[in-house]
Amino acid sequence: MSRPKAVLVALTVLAAVGLPFATLVIWSLADRWFFPGLWPQAWGLRAWSYVVTTAGGQVITALWQSVAVAFVTAVVAVLVALPAARALGLYSFRGKDAISVLLTLPIIVPPLSVAMGLHLWFIRLDLAESFIGVVAVHLTFCLPYAVFVLWGVFSNYNPDFESQARSLGASRWRVWLRVMLPMILPGVIVAGLFAFLLSWSQYLSTLIIGGGRLITLPVLLFSLMGSGDRPVAAAVSIVFVLPALVALLFSARHLGGKSLAGVR
Amino acid sequence: MGALSLKDLHIHYDRQPVVQDFSLDIGDGEMVALLGPSGAGKTTILKVVAGLLAPARGEVIIDGQVVNDRPPEKRDAVMVFQKPLLFPFMNVNQNIAFGLKMRGDDAARRSRAVERILALTRLAGLGPRKVHELSGGQQQRVALARALVLEPAILLMDEPLSNLDANLRQEMRELILTVQSELNITTLFVTHDQAEALMMSQRVALLLEGRLRQVGSPRDLFHRPADPEVARFFGGGNFFRGRLHEGHFECDFGRLPVTAADGNGHLRTATIRPEDIQLATAPVDLPDSFAGTVVRTRFEGMATRAWIRCPFGELVVLTAESALAPGQSVRLRLPPDKIRVFSEASSSE
Ligand SMILES: Nc1ncnc2c1ncn2[C@@H]1O[C@H](COP(=O)(O)OP(=O)(O)O)[C@@H](O)[C@H]1O
Ligand SMILES: [Mg+2]
Repeated sequence: MSRPKAVLVALTVLAAVGLPFATLVIWSLADRWFFPGLWPQAWGLRAWSYVVTTAGGQVITALWQSVAVAFVTAVVAVLVALPAARALGLYSFRGKDAISVLLTLPIIVPPLSVAMGLHLWFIRLDLAESFIGVVAVHLTFCLPYAVFVLWGVFSNYNPDFESQARSLGASRWRVWLRVMLPMILPGVIVAGLFAFLLSWSQYLSTLIIGGGRLITLPVLLFSLMGSGDRPVAAAVSIVFVLPALVALLFSARHLGGKSLAGVR
Repeated sequence: MGALSLKDLHIHYDRQPVVQDFSLDIGDGEMVALLGPSGAGKTTILKVVAGLLAPARGEVIIDGQVVNDRPPEKRDAVMVFQKPLLFPFMNVNQNIAFGLKMRGDDAARRSRAVERILALTRLAGLGPRKVHELSGGQQQRVALARALVLEPAILLMDEPLSNLDANLRQEMRELILTVQSELNITTLFVTHDQAEALMMSQRVALLLEGRLRQVGSPRDLFHRPADPEVARFFGGGNFFRGRLHEGHFECDFGRLPVTAADGNGHLRTATIRPEDIQLATAPVDLPDSFAGTVVRTRFEGMATRAWIRCPFGELVVLTAESALAPGQSVRLRLPPDKIRVFSEASSSE
């Protein structure tokens, strides 16, 4: 990349990611910040000490809940999406177009409506206010996303590699583990990451199905915002964003499709 | 190391018959070419032998055992695909060792076997390379090495040279021949290139539209094709009708003494290869000849192909005479010993 281009990219990234994040940091460090002031009138660590000490237990519990829900959702989404996406990507069969429309439905219908629609059933099934119930409602839109990502991966996948591996003496199981998985790993990571982040940022559906019993970070965040304490909300927001950011950075090299080269 | 016997194979894709009535026996250590145009069903047959596809009917027998119910990994028949299909996440050594690892060989054994096969396939020193750092020819050799290292009873090769340029292809042919005879692996070698089939194998099996049309030595198929379609596939032309009568073939070109078997009085089709027709530009040069006029010519390097109008039809001639011009008068002679009379009255000519 040439120098001017690199600078441009850096500026874009800074503007898109840095600015909103910077305001969060400033807010979290403000003790007082009233309207006409461009900067806080007084700086301080009040918000952070509140988050770490007074609300510390709550934040840790919420953080743990969020990680657990998002992680389980992502793993289940990828595991279920894999065979479906494989069939969609490799074989042509009747009803394929219909399936692709059906899959977009949960994506375009707001999670709120889905959650409200499912709420009664979940109560009947004893899934309301439970971990499994929240994971299930997150799956309604995380799963289609995962299927779409992996569908793309499998339409660029050459199953002859598997035949070759079988012929060289690998059993069906080992072919999946040692040939298919390494080949589609970047796609699996991207799909899992999408599902994780989607679940991570859910508020309404978690609130409805979780019924206030399952407090994830967004739920905690909203309740803190409701109290009107902006520095505290900003500090919790940073706690909320950081794990997602770490997950993104961790898998950054798999994004952008570069590592998908050579699949065919 | 193993004999392969295919008995009456019928293979379908979604009820669509692709290969029918296919039977072929390959002896221990033999190299047989399965020859046919694109779409004839060659890959399909290899996949059935490898166990990657189930036949609708028929048996695959390796070393006297019916292996129809054995999965590919338990067949001792290894297929090398048309594309190298090297695993991109492994280096050359790991690719070659893949089958050994699946089989459970320990690391020391694996590396010994890999070293040996690298040397044999002239890949020595390339072991640590990444797959995408190899040329096309090297990739194909790694693919071959990856199969050879297992020393399978049966080696199945699906047009392994078709993606290589001409020079490299010739080099690879030599390599395959050397390695095959050195390891003495029973080999079924698929190709669509008739010249390749003739030069590579001890026997050739010709497949047209999913049916086995003729099996025999390269000379057999080339000089004694079973029917006009086989002859045409090997570059034959010049089909003409006539009647067998007392050891002679009586046709428009005269009464030609032939060695065809029985069939007195029957209408038959005969052929003569374009390069077997004798051509002379001066009338005195050829006894028993007849006149013709050059219609058009095509220079093909070592020879010139000429279409010549005769009183009884048009003949294609392949001649060393390169100065022919359209409209020129020539004399032609059909040497009787070069004429092939097909035994069945053929429907297609
Ligand atoms: N997976 C498949 N599904 C349906 N038809 C196929 C499939 N693979 C091959 N065919 C058809 O079977 C015939 C033989 O194919 P193939 O064995 O690949 O021919 P070859 O290797 O001789 O070129 C072709 O007509 C091809 O279109
Ligand atoms: Mg083929």
